[in-house]
Parts: sequence; structure tokens; C-alpha cells
Amino acid sequence: MRDDFDRPLWRRLVVNRFVVVLGAIALAIVGWNAYVASYSGGRVTGRVTDTAGEPVAGASVTLWVLNFTTYVEKARGVTDADGRFLIINRDSHNLQLAAEKAGVGRSRRVPVRLYFRAQDVELREPLVLVPTSQGGS
Amino acid sequence: MRRYPRWPIHMALLTVSVLMLLPFYWVVKTSVSGENIFAYPPSVIPKSPHLFYYVDAWYYIPFARYFVNSIVVSSIAVVANVILNAMAGYALTRDFVGKPFVLFLFLSCMMIPFQATIIPAYLITGRLGLLDSYWGLALPQCSTIVCIFVFKGSFDAVPRSLVDAARIDGLSEWRIIWKVMMPLAKSAIATNVILAFVWSWNNFMWPLIVTRSADMQTLPLGLARFLSYQEDTTGALYAFCVMVLAPGVLLFLLAQREFIQGLTSGATKG
Amino acid sequence: MRIRSALPIWCFLAPSLVIFLLYRVLPLAWNLVLSFQDWSPLKAARWVGLSQYEEMLFDDEVFWQALWNTVIFIASAPIAVLLALGLALLVNADIRGRNIYRTIIFISYPLMTVAVAIIWRWMFEERVGLINYVARSLNLVTQPIPFLNSFQWALPSVIAANTWQMLGFYMIILLTGLQNIPENLYEAAAIDGASARRRFWRITVPLLKPSLFLCFVVGMLNSFASFDLVYVMTGGGPGRATELLVTYIYKLGFVQTRFDYAAAVTVFYFALLVAITWSANRLSGGNAGAVERD
Repeated sequence: MRDDFDRPLWRRLVVNRFVVVLGAIALAIVGWNAYVASYSGGRVTGRVTDTAGEPVAGASVTLWVLNFTTYVEKARGVTDADGRFLIINRDSHNLQLAAEKAGVGRSRRVPVRLYFRAQDVELREPLVLVPTSQGGS
Repeated sequence: MRRYPRWPIHMALLTVSVLMLLPFYWVVKTSVSGENIFAYPPSVIPKSPHLFYYVDAWYYIPFARYFVNSIVVSSIAVVANVILNAMAGYALTRDFVGKPFVLFLFLSCMMIPFQATIIPAYLITGRLGLLDSYWGLALPQCSTIVCIFVFKGSFDAVPRSLVDAARIDGLSEWRIIWKVMMPLAKSAIATNVILAFVWSWNNFMWPLIVTRSADMQTLPLGLARFLSYQEDTTGALYAFCVMVLAPGVLLFLLAQREFIQGLTSGATKG
Repeated sequence: MRIRSALPIWCFLAPSLVIFLLYRVLPLAWNLVLSFQDWSPLKAARWVGLSQYEEMLFDDEVFWQALWNTVIFIASAPIAVLLALGLALLVNADIRGRNIYRTIIFISYPLMTVAVAIIWRWMFEERVGLINYVARSLNLVTQPIPFLNSFQWALPSVIAANTWQMLGFYMIILLTGLQNIPENLYEAAAIDGASARRRFWRITVPLLKPSLFLCFVVGMLNSFASFDLVYVMTGGGPGRATELLVTYIYKLGFVQTRFDYAAAVTVFYFALLVAITWSANRLSGGNAGAVERD
């Protein structure tokens, strides 16, 4: 370690590799926590459309959360006139969503993984209702 | 000296370096891989990498709690180490009756591995009522002989005239250590801090024996517990592994000079 | 006057001495006492002489298996030291970037052994481990080898992981020893016409003896310290294939709560190590440990 006594004491204490690196890490942690705090409303939003791309109103959307190794159903929501839905999730970071509407079809289960619990997330792709085949494979 | 070609040396060392770093790369690759980690053949470059395994690892096991426990225990060990070892190292620079005996005692204690003492150490800690507590975890690690000799070597290098002048000025022995010796022994302090921190941070067997409740466990225990819960069925285990290794690697890279110096100087003294 | 000036010194030594007496010397003695007793936390102690040792030596197959595994483990240390010697010689050469190589090789040592165990579990994994992947890609084997589940491969796998971790430490010790050899010795020998091989065997090796002995001692103590690695990597192995004496002691003491028997095994193990170290010291000419006295 350099013992250069010509630099003032405060400078030696502050501008060394430990303080700089650890300080940068501390700042990053504080910044991340601030980000998490401001985006943790638990709002899961998305759209439901049919195969033609038209929004479907009144479709029921189910939210599953991961419980140890299986997904259990946790909450439900209904789409409004624009085909948008909003479900509140505060429990888990590993979700699955699926939508269905009688007569129109059902969508596949879409996995949604979050960076922190109760993260506000909006699905990029809409849940597409595919007509279920009658008596098919 | 005759000149010899350098490139074979570089080739050999590069090969060895790749072999040494390959396990790290493999684990990091697994922890960010987007495909099923048990797919064969495993891809060398991670396919569709994502960070969600790290989120899983954070939530499955209380990483924050274990981290805090480790920090507390290591801090106690580090502070105690610096103070106790400095005192003992200073005492060893002076001549006194029984000094050879004390030296012999210290050197032979270096030969006694901690693992040979676990059962009585557990019983002693139990008698002291320190089981499952921070002090119980930290106490056996509060002083190490290697670090005592590091301080001793550093104090021996302080010119006697300085010490004599201080003594003539009427300073007590205690103040001599802190006012005269320690400011000149910065690298010994740094070495002590690094060695004590790393050894107490990595310690697995002692916390395994001493802790009873799940929320007093330290980070190595948390990692082993994660393994026993999840086996190795998920990439989150490797994400946890990376999260656990990262502080150690970072600290080592920051302080490698002090670390290596401490190991070699303390170890070669006996 | 002597008493007055000696008192603060003993006060300074006291805390460290207390810790070592409490956690090193006293446990050793207590282990010895326990090994001759029949004791459990629930009942009073009873002297039984050598019956614990008799059980250990004559009735306990696990003990002999663990002892054998430990001996193999210790015997693998010289291989690692030789490799490290080669590396130290390479790194000591006058090349650019030697500090980077030194760091890369050493970085595995200060890491948490539990994490190292998990890394190597994954490397040796049967389906997708890197070792199996490379072996199958190079057509060395047709079926993947279940390294950590096979009786022949489990212990070598653990030894390989341990070597990976300890290589850097041995290299650093030997590197320091190499750098402490004065250059002028080599120059004088070169002027006298000694070949590189003679210089190595006549100058380097004898002057490296203290470092080599230190590596030897560390290698032996490492068989104690490898508890973390074995416990996490295999837990004692398929059956008892990777059971070391130290994991056996832990299981006896804290799983079966047979403190007295575990103490007997500990005493035996420690005495064995001391005997090996002491005789190695004598065989290599005595005082190879080069303790500095002042």
C-alpha cells in the first residue's frame, strides 16, 4: 500500500480502490431499490385478441403463480371493451397467464417472469384466443 | 542468461489458464441459459440468455438474511482479529520470560487443524451458552496465528529508536501500539482484514455445527441448503452459486496483493 | 521492574492465548480424554480404557474404508505439488503478464469451497456435465460416465476438484520460494559451466526444500479441510466410496451423536498426521520447516 504522506488524509481515504468500488456497488444497490419501489404496484396488464387481431371483450383471464414446483391458480380478471385486462399480483415473480372466452376459444398459457415481486408488467404480445377444435385430436 | 523462446511458456500458461477458468465460465453460462439446462448436447454459448434464474435464487432461499448473517459474523471476526493479533504481535516483539514457550505454543497450534477440534469446540460453545449466536459463530475465528506473525513481522520492521522515543515520552504500551506501530503497519492491517474476512466468510463446517435455527445460518450453509432442497434440477442453483462467488472474487481482485503477501509471509514463518 | 514491564505484555497476549487454549489446546486434550471414556451428554462419564480404539480398529469397516480413502487423498497431494512446481517455474520466467497468469491460477483458492463443490458437481454431472460432454465429443467413451455415482470414479473426481482449488496455493508458495533464491547463484553456476538441468537439481530443488515441505504439510492438513468439498459434492460418496476420516468424524459426532467414539477417531487421525509429518521432516534432513527464531 502506498504510504504517500503528501496527499491529504481525506483524499487517501476516499480515492482508493476499495472505497471507489464498494461505493459504486452501494450506489447501484440504492438505485435498484429505488427503481423497485417505484414500479412495484403489482399491475399485470395485457390485451386479449382473437385470431383476426380484433380485441375481445368479456374474456376471462386467469393468473397462475408458481408454488414450489407447480402452478396454482391465483386470480382472475375480465377484459373490458378494448380487450384489456388488469390483474393485481403481489405474490410471485413467476407467473402464467391464459385467457378464454366461450364461443371464441382459449389462448395458450403464457409464462411471465418478473425481475421482482409485484413488478408492474405489460404483456408485449396479446393473448390470442384460438378456437378449440370440437372432438379433434 | 541465455535467451530462450517465450512462446511455449505462453502456450502452456494459456492452456492452464483456460483450464482453470473453464469451470467458472460453465457455471455462469448455465446460470443465464435460456434453454433447459439438462438438454444434451449442452450449448457452449448460452441460448437466449436471461437473468430470471437469479430472481428465482433470490426468492427461493432468503439470500439477504444469510448475507447479513455472514457479514455480521465476518465483521466481528475481522475487528477482533485486527485488535487481538496486533496486541499479540506487539507482545512477541518484546523479550519476556517464557517467550520461547509462547512461540512454541503458537507454532504448534498452527498444526492443529480446526476439524480436529470440532467436537470439544461444540461442547465448549454449548457450555458457554453461545450456540446458535453470532458470538458463538465468530469466537473461534477471532484470532489466527498466521496473522499474528504478519503483525509481528511488520512491527519488527519499525525502528527501535521510534519505540524508545515514544517510551521516553511516557506513552503507555497500549498507546505505543496504536499511535506508533499501527500507522506504520498499514499493509499488515490490510492483510489481516482480508485473510480474516475470507476465512470467516468461507467457513462452512463451524456454522454447520453451531447453528440450530434456520435464520442464523450463514451464506455457505444457505448454499448447501439450497442444494439439498432443489437438488440440481434448476438453473437457479447455479445463479445462487454465482451470487455467492461474486463478492469473494471481487474482494480477491481488489486485494490480491495483500492476500498473497499475507499467505506467503505468515506461512513461511513456520 | 521486570514484573511491571512484563505485565502489560501478558495482558496483550492474553486474549489470543485464551482463544487458542480454549479452541485448540483444550479440545485436543478433551478429545484424548473422551476417547478413553464412554460418555454421552445424557449420562455420566465412565472410563473404558481402550475399548473405543478396539472397536475402531477391529469392528468398524467404515473406519478402514475412510482411512483408505484419506490415504489416497493425501497421496494425491504430491501430484498437485509437482504440477504447481511446473507452473511456478513457468510463471517465474521472464514473460509479460505473469501477474495475470498468477492471478488466474490462484483465483480458485480463496473461493468458498461449497461453491467450488457445486461447480464441480455440475462439471462431473452424468448427462450434461462438461467432462462427459468433452469425453463423448472426442469419442473417448460411448456411454456417459456417472462420475459421482460410481464406486471407482467418485474419489478421483473429488480429488480432481480439490486439486483444481489447491493448485494456486501451492504455486504461490513455490513461486515465493523460487523468487527468494538469489540470482547470483545461478549466474555463478552458469559461469562454472553447469547445464540448466544441473542448475535445477543442485540449486533450485535444495533451496526450495522449505517451500516444498510447507506444501507437503498443507497437503496433509488439506485432507482435514476437505470436509466442505466432500460433504457438498458427494456426502460421503456412493456407499462410502468418498468417505474421508473427517466426514466420518462429523457423522459420528453430529449425526449419530457418538461423541466419545468420534473423539477416538479424531485422536487417531491427528496422531497419524503428526507422525507422518514428523517422519517426513526427519527423512528430509531435519528442520526442513525452517522455523525462524529471533
